[in-house]
Amino acid sequence: MKTITRATLAATVGLGFAISVSAGPVEDQAAFQKYFENKFPNTPVMDFQNGVYSILPEAREQWVQIEEFPPYELAIENGEKLYHSKFANGKSLADCFGPEGAVRGQYPFWDKDRGMVITMERAVNECREANGEKGYGWKKGKIADVTAYMSFNSRGQKVDVKIPSDDPRALAAYEEGKEHFYTKRGQLNFACADCHLLTAGNLYRADTTSPAFGHATSWPVFRSKWQSMGTLHRRFAGCHENIRAASYKAQGPEYSNLEYFVTYMSNGLDFNGPAARK
Amino acid sequence: MVRRRVSEEMDMVKGLIVGTLTAAVSFGAFAGASNVSSSKLIKEATAAYKQVAKDTSYQWTTTVKSIKAAQAAFDKGKFTEAEALAREALELVDATRTQAKIEAETWQMRVPK
Repeated sequence: MKTITRATLAATVGLGFAISVSAGPVEDQAAFQKYFENKFPNTPVMDFQNGVYSILPEAREQWVQIEEFPPYELAIENGEKLYHSKFANGKSLADCFGPEGAVRGQYPFWDKDRGMVITMERAVNECREANGEKGYGWKKGKIADVTAYMSFNSRGQKVDVKIPSDDPRALAAYEEGKEHFYTKRGQLNFACADCHLLTAGNLYRADTTSPAFGHATSWPVFRSKWQSMGTLHRRFAGCHENIRAASYKAQGPEYSNLEYFVTYMSNGLDFNGPAARK
Repeated sequence: MVRRRVSEEMDMVKGLIVGTLTAAVSFGAFAGASNVSSSKLIKEATAAYKQVAKDTSYQWTTTVKSIKAAQAAFDKGKFTEAEALAREALELVDATRTQAKIEAETWQMRVPK
């Protein structure tokens, strides 16, 4: 087993690709989006926000039918109730995020004061904790329901993640997310980029891998495989387990920075969550 | 003719597999796997697994499985099996470290330009 693994790793290096100097976020984003536009010339750019259905016409038909009676509808209803439920102090999430929670377009963002990426899930739990309540779990359940409601009310908001140039820590977080995305890990030796960039659209067993352009727009999602709602960090963790890599903590720096990078790569698309996915 | 050659090659492969397995089992027996030595190897594998995570932030789930399986075999008194599994875990840690080293030097080649 060790021999095979080492041989695979050595072969990877042996390909002899030249390593060039890292570009900045703006150049990264342009090259990233152009890559997918060239790879899938029949997909209108804005359609990448529909995940794998933007490149698979046959699966798209079925997905469109599912979206007519979406499986995430109950999550939105439950999320609405949770959103407006009063905390013990008489306040609610609406006191933090406005009457409808239509703030998806503001996340993730770089918090200069704390020197970290703030995701919408983190903001929700911090609002609860600031009001004396316990935070929800990070991956599924109430956090997914509340953010489903907030995302639904935010549909159409532009993805516009910013990397402030006056704080080098923001660029460092972006670079960490970028490195994470392109780095192979796990016994199966896969990078996010292997499935969702270099071989996006290929079959892995019975599933076609989705393009990473648009990956971050539609969360939370109702996944048929899960038969429930889940957050983006739940999906990150699942992907890592699939390649036999130990997952990181949801909302820890690894996944938050990865979200920062992946969402920045989708700047210009619309937030369109929640969504149904296979 | 071709079929015969394939058949001969298959026999050779089977022979190799059987031989390797036999050697592995014999090695375990002759190596004198014991309560003490297998316990030491399991501890070594566990420590190596934690250390590689500290050094590289890489961890493979398969390594944990091997360590758990080694511990389970140890608990049943199957010390030879426990040692083999602990050694496997150590090899996986070694491969994890190699992966991290290679990736630190090569990940940028996948970035679209």
